[in-house]
Amino acid sequence: MSLIQTENLTKVYGAGETAITALDHANLNVNAGEFVAVMGPSGCGKSTLLHLLGGLDRPTQGSVSIDGQPLAKLSDDALSQMRRRKIGFVFQFFNLIPILTSVENAALPLLLDGTSPGKAKQKASEWLTKIGLGERLKSRPDQLSAGQQQRVAIARALITDPVLVLADEPTGNLDTKSSDEIAGLLKQIAREWNRAVLMVTHDPRIAAYAECIVLMRDGKIVEDKHNG
Amino acid sequence: MNLQLTLATRYLGGRKLRTFLTTLAIVIGVMVIFGVGIYLPSFTAAFEKSLLSASGQTDVMITHKTGESFSATMLNRVKAVSGVAVIGGSLERIINLPPNFYGKNSTISALALVGIDPSVAPELHEYRITQGRFLKAGDGNVAIISERLADTLGVKLNDAIKLPTTQGVVRLQIVGLIPGRAAVSNEQVIITLAQAQKLLDAPGRVNVIEANLTTKEKTESDAIVNAIKAQLGNTYTLGGLTSGSEFLGAMQMGQIIFNLFGFLTLAMGGFIIFNTFRTIVAERRHDIGMLRAIGANRATIVGFVLTEGLVQGILGTAIGIGLGYLLGVLITTGTSAVIKNIMNIEMSPVVEPSLVIVSIVLGVGVTLFAGLLPALSASRVQPLEAIRPSLGETMQRISRVGTIIGAVMIAIALAGLLVGNFALVALGGFLFLIGLVLIAPALVKPIANWFGGLLAIIFAREGTGELAQGNLTRQPGRAAITAGATMIGLAIVVGAGGMMFSLTGTVMNMFYKSMGSDYLLVPPSIAIWKGDVGASETLKAKIASIPGVGAVNSLRYAQSSLQSAAIKGAGEAAISVLGINPVEYSKMSGMDFQQGNAPDAYNALARDERNAIVNGILAATANLKVGDLMPLATPSGEHQYRIVAIGSDVLSMKINTAYISQTNMKLDFNKSEDIFYQVNLAPGADTATADQWLNQIVADYPQFRLVIGHEYAAEFRAQYDSIFIGFYVLLGVLAFPSLIAILNTLAIGVIERTREIGMLRAIGATRGQVWRTIVAEALLLAAIGTAFGILAGLYLSYVFVEGIGATGIYKMEYVFPFAGVLAATAVGLIFGVIAALFPARQASQMEIIRALRYE
Repeated sequence: MSLIQTENLTKVYGAGETAITALDHANLNVNAGEFVAVMGPSGCGKSTLLHLLGGLDRPTQGSVSIDGQPLAKLSDDALSQMRRRKIGFVFQFFNLIPILTSVENAALPLLLDGTSPGKAKQKASEWLTKIGLGERLKSRPDQLSAGQQQRVAIARALITDPVLVLADEPTGNLDTKSSDEIAGLLKQIAREWNRAVLMVTHDPRIAAYAECIVLMRDGKIVEDKHNG
Repeated sequence: MNLQLTLATRYLGGRKLRTFLTTLAIVIGVMVIFGVGIYLPSFTAAFEKSLLSASGQTDVMITHKTGESFSATMLNRVKAVSGVAVIGGSLERIINLPPNFYGKNSTISALALVGIDPSVAPELHEYRITQGRFLKAGDGNVAIISERLADTLGVKLNDAIKLPTTQGVVRLQIVGLIPGRAAVSNEQVIITLAQAQKLLDAPGRVNVIEANLTTKEKTESDAIVNAIKAQLGNTYTLGGLTSGSEFLGAMQMGQIIFNLFGFLTLAMGGFIIFNTFRTIVAERRHDIGMLRAIGANRATIVGFVLTEGLVQGILGTAIGIGLGYLLGVLITTGTSAVIKNIMNIEMSPVVEPSLVIVSIVLGVGVTLFAGLLPALSASRVQPLEAIRPSLGETMQRISRVGTIIGAVMIAIALAGLLVGNFALVALGGFLFLIGLVLIAPALVKPIANWFGGLLAIIFAREGTGELAQGNLTRQPGRAAITAGATMIGLAIVVGAGGMMFSLTGTVMNMFYKSMGSDYLLVPPSIAIWKGDVGASETLKAKIASIPGVGAVNSLRYAQSSLQSAAIKGAGEAAISVLGINPVEYSKMSGMDFQQGNAPDAYNALARDERNAIVNGILAATANLKVGDLMPLATPSGEHQYRIVAIGSDVLSMKINTAYISQTNMKLDFNKSEDIFYQVNLAPGADTATADQWLNQIVADYPQFRLVIGHEYAAEFRAQYDSIFIGFYVLLGVLAFPSLIAILNTLAIGVIERTREIGMLRAIGATRGQVWRTIVAEALLLAAIGTAFGILAGLYLSYVFVEGIGATGIYKMEYVFPFAGVLAATAVGLIFGVIAALFPARQASQMEIIRALRYE
């Protein structure tokens, strides 16, 4: 069974004449260890797809299952727990808490899950070291470069050992060199650490790191092809 | 440290200025409640110490219900009860000493003169003589004092100490010393009963009977005590002497008013915290969204916000209590000179544990409560907000229900004022304030439009005035909350100012009316007469015989109590009875009459009947009207006095008082001691000669201070003002948090409109224009808050004055606080501009590109 399964996933914003169908009967399956890039022009529904997969928004119609668990049936608290334990998020603008250090930011999901601060921070340090930030554990976001901030965000996404990492334009705010590093890291997450990674991007060069590219237009998945 | 606490402390530390300003609101609220809360217990403690009788080491202690002396033959009636082993009568009296009576460095303000029967007293109390001898029958002007008192006065065995008495100053030779007692009451000067009766002009009388019983076993001793009670009747009390409970009641009323101000300040603090947390939640929508996205549930988010509130609440309360203590000490020491001067008691700060608990509960509670709604709103932030830009707030709808409820509340408040019922009027004060807060959002637009017109003239051609006006009216709820905080702040200033002006006006009018004579002979305490030692009738005769003196009026004092079903609680109230000579009194003094009139009242007192004038407090306490009969407890039994008028003078302002004729006072209370004199010179009299004579005569009676009438009025006014200057400073402090409220609202507005401001700058608005828009908005906000504040303040002060009138206690004239209104307007608008400076600078200094990108 696939890790991500969607069936006729549809999201309509507004109602009546002003209704906009952001996602139109999308069907998608992603397996563990797979790195999928979602591409398409602005407004094609790729972010909406990502939000629905992450349980950040509820579909108008259709269903999403993550790791065999249908999201529709989950309460707000259960959904929060699912995001905490099974899904890691990477955002375009990093969304780090400015007053916390790298370690504290990366440790957040574990702390929210009730892990003791000592253990959470130790694990955060291990992940940060693994992705090359061993020297910047105590730095606050404003003391880090954009690429480094995104690495902290990735460490935060990985710390609970999620089955799925969702990345929304993770390189949208980075220079070319940092973009390549981050894309390489996401690939490594899928290949070496056997997570499903789904990344939304505008950039074909970054999409090329993925082994599968999903093309969208007007809310529909128009192509689902494997690289190479 | 857990995550909540880490985030709370880091966020608070990251915004030091805001944390400081917000916490300050709580600090000030708690400070006022704590500081004022210290005052009354301090006063009470000092007061009780001053009036406390000797501690009862004996099995039974009997006093008359009025506290006055009674015939020593009562001893025989108690002695007749079987089970009474030893019995002794004594005559005790607190003697208020004039300032510096024992030299400049003397700290003693009062002494207890105790006359004992030397033959039985040692069986009742232990008198361990360390030097000299004990008293013996037939001793004259000799006394025993404690070693501590001897040290304090710098006297030794066989030296003499002087004491003011009704017969003038007497010198008592010290024949024995006893160890100092660790009691809180006044130091005792012990003499023989016979000598005390002579010095206190009370032959054959005692005011305390003490007895030891044949058994200590409880059931048996209770039976004996009951037998004694049956023997004596209900006009006697078994226990300590009554202390001036009626005065404490008046003080408690004062504390309720102060607590109301403290609570209003805390409420204002609550508004500010509420607004601040709304700012915080608005600022951190992205952070909160991210936390939700990575798995924080709603309860966790509520926890984050409330932890921050808790940290601030605890911090603010702790600092508030610390500063409150200092404030309490400041008020206590600041007013102690005045209190000592008027009432002859020494105060030191007293902190009751309950005050600490109440302050903590209120300080922390208000913070948490104020943080609750923003916390809940934070928990509703969707995880998506971490990713996509917020759409910005659109026009906010005004709640019609709120407006209608608010209008109804204000209507009830105004109706209560018309009806004149005190409970309704007091409730109306709260309803009016809450009603204004509820109705405020609906009023924001019309008021903003009106003031906007003014601003348009100032900022003509730029359009910034209109922009500011638009910014306010699209969030009327938020503008109303800010205006609400400003309103409460200024309402306190105007309201309390109005009360003070009215109170000062009323008191001074009464003062001039009742104390307008050429000279006054003033005892150490003019509010609580109990400890004052007066003079026998000879002094009055001496004064009257001075060449040039036209008229002399004197006051006499006795304690009494009144039983009435109308009196709440015990059904009994302690009252001060003042004896006047109605003919002299009507010529030289005067009252404000609430019922009845002066000529009829004084004529009725002059008749050979038991007639009385009662003051407003007593009339209200016991529900008395003109024509009612009032059963007064006297040492000669209960007597019915008919009420001929209800009226007050400045001396009886705060205490249950009945005025009777001096003839009746002598008859029923066996008192002929004058405790206060007013002297007028005859027309064309030689002032210098009269002055010289008066000084010479009064020198023999140092318990009185000779003052010139108009100088005394000036002195009284100065003392009164010195208390109120402190009060006005306190009011200024109370208004300060409204500044923070405006600052917060402006800051939140700037943060929320970052992109809008960027856009304005991008299309060509200058920094100056952006700056002026924010300042204009602040001025509008301040104007709305000030308008509401003045309205609410005027209402509050009017309610106070009318409320006092409605209780029938005093007739108070409402004095419109013009100065208060002007000050509030100035303060409100200046605060508006000051509060705008920081956010306006922040907005005008914004980098255009970053502002446009801001999400």
